[in-house]
Amino acid sequence: MSLMEEIIAAVDEMPPFPQVVQRAMQALAEPEYEVSGLVDILKVDQAVTANILKLCNSAYFGLPRKVSSLKEAVVYLGANQLRQLLLSGAASKIYEKPNEGYAVFADELWRHALATAVMAQVLRRHLRLKIDENMVFTAALLHDVGKVVLSTFVVDKYLAIESMVESGEYSFQEAEKEVLGFDHAEIGGKIAESWDFPPAIIAAIAFHHEPSSSPKEFRLLAEIVALANNLAVMVGYGTGVDGLACRGHDLLLQKLKLGEKDLEKLVLLFQIEMEKTCDIAGVSEH
Amino acid sequence: MSLVTIGIADLKVSNNPEDTLVTYSLGSCIGLAVYDPVARVGGLLHYMLPDSSINQEKAAKNPAMFANKGIPLLFKQCYKLGADKKRMIIKVAGGSQIMDDAGTFNIGKRNYAILRKMFWKNNVMIDGEDIGGNCNRTMYMQIEDGKINLKISKKGMVEL
Ligand SMILES: [Fe+2]
Ligand SMILES: [Fe+2]
Repeated sequence: MSLMEEIIAAVDEMPPFPQVVQRAMQALAEPEYEVSGLVDILKVDQAVTANILKLCNSAYFGLPRKVSSLKEAVVYLGANQLRQLLLSGAASKIYEKPNEGYAVFADELWRHALATAVMAQVLRRHLRLKIDENMVFTAALLHDVGKVVLSTFVVDKYLAIESMVESGEYSFQEAEKEVLGFDHAEIGGKIAESWDFPPAIIAAIAFHHEPSSSPKEFRLLAEIVALANNLAVMVGYGTGVDGLACRGHDLLLQKLKLGEKDLEKLVLLFQIEMEKTCDIAGVSEH
Repeated sequence: MSLVTIGIADLKVSNNPEDTLVTYSLGSCIGLAVYDPVARVGGLLHYMLPDSSINQEKAAKNPAMFANKGIPLLFKQCYKLGADKKRMIIKVAGGSQIMDDAGTFNIGKRNYAILRKMFWKNNVMIDGEDIGGNCNRTMYMQIEDGKINLKISKKGMVEL
């Protein structure tokens, strides 16, 4: 088997994206979803139910009395918060596996993914981009999922990738491509495909390091994820191994004619949001 | 020994010789460490942005986010613990960049430039620095002796 074939086999063996979360997403996509229908979907999964209640009763919301029923919690949180909670819960489990090859701390990939998702939301909101919020959050959250699979295969190739990056001429993703013949973005696209995600999300994941190569109809999403990734890495929410060896994609900034000060404001808004998110998600900032 | 963490956009000072101050993942941000070896007082600042003019309200709430507010505050808090400006040893790390020929993502560079400018105006000399490139840094300061260690991605531990 070639390395690519082995990796495709590993993608096939990856645990599916949690069914409960996917079904809840579909239910939440209806403009007038039914709370009782949603509760029926969620209550099947005890861990998910416990998580929702835990969040509702966390200090962050500071509710005067304890929320004890799932129904109450669903009503209280509302569609957006619920969606993000469900997605983050599923994504954190996927990212927080030990990453042997890329030798990063188990939670580093996860923190980077979360930071990218928060940054992407800040971009969408602050730059008033006309694109579905849910789509942006999901694509950004899962953009590096290919690293989870790839890292178990690169143990013996890792030094070659690293020394190319050290030369200063290759980004981490370019070095992956040179050494392996493919990169984590491509593999991530395949994983999203195997999870039956919509084509826009698959494309945004697959092209997050080369947004201008993305099919035209999905390019905006790929550009948002690429820029969010750039800014998250720049500020220091990277994955450790690759440092800041990541190529900048400023297409979106150019199109919107944004300058230095705008970028600083985006970073500021990001940090404010990130602190809140870390609080809610129980993630440490470092 | 107790490890005292300085978050992003945060600063802390100490005169407890048992303490080691640490700040993680400096990308474009700057870690500024100042130490008075006689008073054995040290402080560490992790700022994100050069100038607070983009958001005065945030600057009032969290001065450590900005170079122009955080740097003076760091010195002031050290003076309160008995540090003297003339004896201060100053070390700086961070200010990295992603790979970008156009220089769009150069907040790291500007974070460093404003520090140089402020120090020049106030006659402050930098005693050691590790700036720029595309690595990620973690910075440690031992209050006991002011020793600064850097953990640099792809390089490992070095003393600054
Ligand atoms: Fe990536
Ligand atoms: Fe990434």
